[in-house]
Amino acid sequence: MATIVAEATGQAILHEEHEQSFLRKYIFSTDHKVIAIQFLIYTLFFLMIGGLLAMLMRYQIAWPARGELPLGGIFPESMVASGYILPEFYNALVTMHGSVMVFLAIMPMLVGVWANYLIPLQLGTHDMAFPRLNMLSFWAMVPAGILTLASFFVVGGAAGAGWTLYAPLSARPDLTGVGLGQILWLAALVFIGLSSILGSVNYITTTINMRAPGMTWMRMPLTIWSLFITAILALLAMPVLSAAGIMLIFDQTIGTSFFLPEGGGQPLLWQHLFWFFGHPEVYILILPAMGFTSEILSVGSRKPVFGYKAMVLALVSIAFLGFIVWGHHMFQSGMNPMLGLTFTVSTLFIAVPSAIKTFNWMGTMWRGNLQLHSAMLFAIGFVAMFAIGGLSGVFMASTPVDIYIHDTYFIVAHIHYVLFGGSLFALFGAIYFWYPKMFGRMMNETMGKIHFWLTFVFFNLVFFPMHGVGMVGMMRRIYDSTGYAHLQGIEDTNAIITWAAFGLFASGFLFAFNFFWSLKKGRKAEANPWNATTLEWQTPSPPKHGNWEEIPVVYHGPHEYSHPDVEDKDWLAQNERPDVVSPAAGSH
Amino acid sequence: MRSHFWNRSAALLAVAAMAACGGGDGGSSEAADDAGEATPAAAAVDPSTVGTISGMANFGGMVPTMEAIDMSAEAECAAGYGADGPMAQSVLVSEGGLANVFVYLSEGVSGAPAASGAATLDQVNCRYTPHVLGVQSGQDIEISNSDNLLHNINATPTENRGFNISQPRAGITSTQRFQVAEVMVPVRCDVHGWMQAYIGVVDHPYFAVTGADGSYSIANVPAGDYTLTAWHEEFGTQTANVTVTAGEMAVATFDYNAEMMGAEVPMGDALVLEHGTNRIRVERTQ
Repeated sequence: MATIVAEATGQAILHEEHEQSFLRKYIFSTDHKVIAIQFLIYTLFFLMIGGLLAMLMRYQIAWPARGELPLGGIFPESMVASGYILPEFYNALVTMHGSVMVFLAIMPMLVGVWANYLIPLQLGTHDMAFPRLNMLSFWAMVPAGILTLASFFVVGGAAGAGWTLYAPLSARPDLTGVGLGQILWLAALVFIGLSSILGSVNYITTTINMRAPGMTWMRMPLTIWSLFITAILALLAMPVLSAAGIMLIFDQTIGTSFFLPEGGGQPLLWQHLFWFFGHPEVYILILPAMGFTSEILSVGSRKPVFGYKAMVLALVSIAFLGFIVWGHHMFQSGMNPMLGLTFTVSTLFIAVPSAIKTFNWMGTMWRGNLQLHSAMLFAIGFVAMFAIGGLSGVFMASTPVDIYIHDTYFIVAHIHYVLFGGSLFALFGAIYFWYPKMFGRMMNETMGKIHFWLTFVFFNLVFFPMHGVGMVGMMRRIYDSTGYAHLQGIEDTNAIITWAAFGLFASGFLFAFNFFWSLKKGRKAEANPWNATTLEWQTPSPPKHGNWEEIPVVYHGPHEYSHPDVEDKDWLAQNERPDVVSPAAGSH
Repeated sequence: MRSHFWNRSAALLAVAAMAACGGGDGGSSEAADDAGEATPAAAAVDPSTVGTISGMANFGGMVPTMEAIDMSAEAECAAGYGADGPMAQSVLVSEGGLANVFVYLSEGVSGAPAASGAATLDQVNCRYTPHVLGVQSGQDIEISNSDNLLHNINATPTENRGFNISQPRAGITSTQRFQVAEVMVPVRCDVHGWMQAYIGVVDHPYFAVTGADGSYSIANVPAGDYTLTAWHEEFGTQTANVTVTAGEMAVATFDYNAEMMGAEVPMGDALVLEHGTNRIRVERTQ
């Protein structure tokens, strides 16, 4: 175990290196970078699982009468019979696709991977404040993953009440035929909550206490700001979900009736608890993506982030507003119209900071020296897709419109424009951007660009038509839409969406190939291949255990590109001494 | 192990003897035959030690009128019925005989051969066939769908593990089991509210379901004194004491009439509404 003593003055640092066993270095590691890579592999695996579940769903939606599911024989009779995906398995697919993607793929990839990797490096510290808690936050995710996968193979199958787990569907096995599978998923959720809470405590403490000398709040990169705000959201929201999940387990196992009306409980209580977590969760899923995008756009445009302070304030505003809008998910459950109006207004307020960010991203790119590498393409894609997802969100914020379209494919389109076109695009961008720092090699740019364009085209072919399908009235979780008179005529659209979804899934394999191929064959990366300013690029690629020989001293803001006082290059690292670069390049 | 061998050998001989005599079960109708397929006892007994119980479920007086079922939402199913359309099946009386009575030995059985073979439950024209099914605990129940539309099969036992599975197309089958004796297990389709079946699970093979003419027959019952119980979904239960003598037929008859409608029907948990409290209390009605 290395002994680390960081001195606030930025003077000499004692950092003893010694040999670690394989187990301590790669498995039960307390190094934030190794934990981040563990999270990355974990989440990429579950991203593939979630995608696979979606492909099975799409097959059923496009061809409900065909049967003949390819490789259908490998599934147990309780999932696929005579080549037909059974309705209860479809329910499990819908539920677990959403659950896996939100809780086991996107959320830990946004936070578990990048908060772990970037917070100590970008803040200029050796590691997290609590390295062992950090290790525990990853290992709490392992039983969660195992329980989730196991739930597919127990009697009754995996959870089938939707990712929102509405009671009483989720509380009474006789309503869905799912008993143990639901309990296993709830248990997994408790582990995920534990992981998230432990991680958040670490991220918040590290950000507050362990910033390098000179790293003032307003010199923190926007990535760190977004991860810091996200950690606060997670710390406040996840315990609510964990508590609700435990209450739901009690309803199922020991006869309590928190959410069961026959015992005096309230199904609506579940909805309130879930969405009190759920709406902040939406921002947990998008704020880090906004941070990555700000960073990548600034580097790729060779310009400072437009309106840095406004961007920070917008992040804080979104986080605050995110806690007072949860009711807009429940317009259909019925509420006092005055309350509905309140939630409508507070939700519409969120459009303001969101618009500030969108315009500032465009301002950042405006007349910049754009470098359209893969990371930049995905960051630009994020802005475009997030704008569409945000605009469709405005429809949903309005009670009378929401009641019409909420349980249709319109909302499926909306959530995917935000969560896939938003979060996942930014995540792809982040991986292309920080891969050289993580692994010391560049990802292949040609494959990266092909991956972007395939993803961009197929993504829009999949999800844009869903707005229309939803407006026609196709229900969001319907197993077979062909039996409804009002849905006649959308079969071809559904088939096109499915073919595009297959293309989207296949393009993910190009990314996976590039990821693993580049580990061995990728061009060796120098310390700062993007000529970026933040601290992580001022260390070797990959950084050594402990990150820094000496804790850096920060003199500048995070995005000093095209600085007018620097002549020989267009960037100024945060830790470059002003008097060395240029007497005029003072602190910003 | 050794006695098991002899039991099986004797059972084979008994089957041969029964077959030669025509089975001694002329009274069983289609419903009872369905249940008979699920009766593994027919496969293995010593003829010198077993007898048969048979009899009737008689219905006297006015026969309750069954309600018509509105199947207009499923034209494909409705087309499978005559001009009168489909009717409810809870009380089916033909020439004084009451169908769908589940008759089984409730006391006196000591030891029984393990279940073998599979019972079948089909969905035909939006109805379960048979309406009442008897199975042995641990026995396979092959559930199939002959309708080319979605049915779900929601079994809600109290002693066993329930299931709620779906069969969206014709030709799909699913195999289920109940491990513990339980009379009765209600089965319903949530898509078609009129679809209802009952599965009687006992831990021996000595049971039958009365056919359309009200007759039943339980073959290969070891000689001895037993309590016989008859269960009906509207008329509750009746019991009779029977003595089975080897090689002979014991007769037990059950009588029903319309006034018995509304009797307590043992079937797992019943939901009892507590008026004024807006609560539902779960109560065991054994």
